[in-house]
Amino acid sequence: MQALHTAATGMAAQELNVQVISNNIANLRTTGFKKQTAAFQDLIYEHVRRVGAQASDQGTILPVGVDIGGGVKTVGTPRSMTQGTLSQTGNDLDLAMSGEGFFKILMPDGTYQYTRDGTFQMDNQGRVVTAQGNPVQPTITIPNNASGISVSEQGQVSVTLPGSSTSSIIGQIGVTRFINKAGLQPVGSNQFTETPSSGPPQDGTANSEGFGKITQGSLEQANVDVVSEMSDLIAAQRAYEMNAKVISAADQMMQSTTALFR
Amino acid sequence: MQNALLIGLSRQMTLERQMDVIANNVANANTNGFKADHSLFEEYLNSNAREDNFVGADRRVSYVQDRGTFRDVGQGPMEATNNPLDMAIDGNAYFAVQANGGERYTRDGKFSLNSTGQFVTSDGNLVLGTGGPITFQPTDHDINIAPDGTITVLEGTAKTDSIRGKIRMASFDDPARLTKLGANLYAAGSATQQADARSSVRQGYIEKSNVNAVGEMSRMVEVMRSYTAIANLLQQQSDLHKSAIEKLADVPA
Repeated sequence: MQALHTAATGMAAQELNVQVISNNIANLRTTGFKKQTAAFQDLIYEHVRRVGAQASDQGTILPVGVDIGGGVKTVGTPRSMTQGTLSQTGNDLDLAMSGEGFFKILMPDGTYQYTRDGTFQMDNQGRVVTAQGNPVQPTITIPNNASGISVSEQGQVSVTLPGSSTSSIIGQIGVTRFINKAGLQPVGSNQFTETPSSGPPQDGTANSEGFGKITQGSLEQANVDVVSEMSDLIAAQRAYEMNAKVISAADQMMQSTTALFR
Repeated sequence: MQNALLIGLSRQMTLERQMDVIANNVANANTNGFKADHSLFEEYLNSNAREDNFVGADRRVSYVQDRGTFRDVGQGPMEATNNPLDMAIDGNAYFAVQANGGERYTRDGKFSLNSTGQFVTSDGNLVLGTGGPITFQPTDHDINIAPDGTITVLEGTAKTDSIRGKIRMASFDDPARLTKLGANLYAAGSATQQADARSSVRQGYIEKSNVNAVGEMSRMVEVMRSYTAIANLLQQQSDLHKSAIEKLADVPA
């Protein structure tokens, strides 16, 4: 009975849906996290009677066919790259991006990764690094006697050095964008890498040519909306139950047949 | 004598197929832009052999046949996603996409860009505008899609909108003739396109599946009960045969 297999594809799809939703909820308080949604498609149809076929010698055309679908498949878990809300931390090296763009991070193996998580710190050499200790690109080294670190909306980092009454620019935080940012691959630790689907990285300056602006002393929160995740979770759970009911109904039908003529 | 068995069987076969259709609807309860299918049945009169030697003429026997599955083309509920590339059509039109095998149609507006900035579906098929595929520049931002499908963006530091294309909304004289291909796509088949001024595009929304959960569940119970009822009928018919054979065999010669 086809219905059994069809309902099984439905249960598998809803199980994956719940996985995606639970990951979103788990990352509710992850800085710079972008939520995912599972996208589904129907499977191919068996055309038992094809619509538009000739139904009689008089040339009657079937107005409708008999199309039996085989269930559902997951086509992807696209990431929603909408802006998260900014929350103020007051920390000088906490940077939030509002708008287009990612911070560029140099990994120990020489490759670059990209993040929206601007929780930066200074390492023992005075470099601005991520929470994992990887330097933000281009590398910015803050002199150890400097005070009053200030990051402009364009990403210019300036400090006040001892004996000077004015601040001096010591570097520029770079921003990078991708034509298809939803095509970036998540690698954990709030970071993404370039893929053939994302397109090549385009480096630029914040708050110009469509790049987002940098806000110092703030962090971008996850763009997860708890209420909609909870309602999606309920919908997924109910859909799962419905598919389970279809399986038990199909099973009962088969049972009635096998019980015949004992 | 065997007619009851055969009629029951014909009904059971259609019920099984109806169950398959319900199962597919339920499985796709969370599929974007999915349209539910429903089964239609008709009486199938068997032109059996005539036997004129009997006193009464033979009566024709009615079987059941599934004539077709019709698609509920009603609007699915719209869900706000705030994603500027998500689109839903309010009305009867379809998005035109360039798929493997030619132009196809879909109601699933979960779109994105590919690595060259072209507007694509979840499968990577190009979304067609009135002037072919739609391509965005790397410096485009603030994408805005008007209800008539016109796509405007701000390019780089420009303060005025540039037009990137217009979403094509394909409308058909008889949407029931569109064939479901799977992967949320339809083929035009024998349906012909026609002008449609009533459909509009909603940016930042996704059309969900129009499967009615309560309706499907009640239909499912109905199908299951009818199926088991016929199984009982077949059982009783068989018992009748059995007892007739036993009783007749017991008659002393």
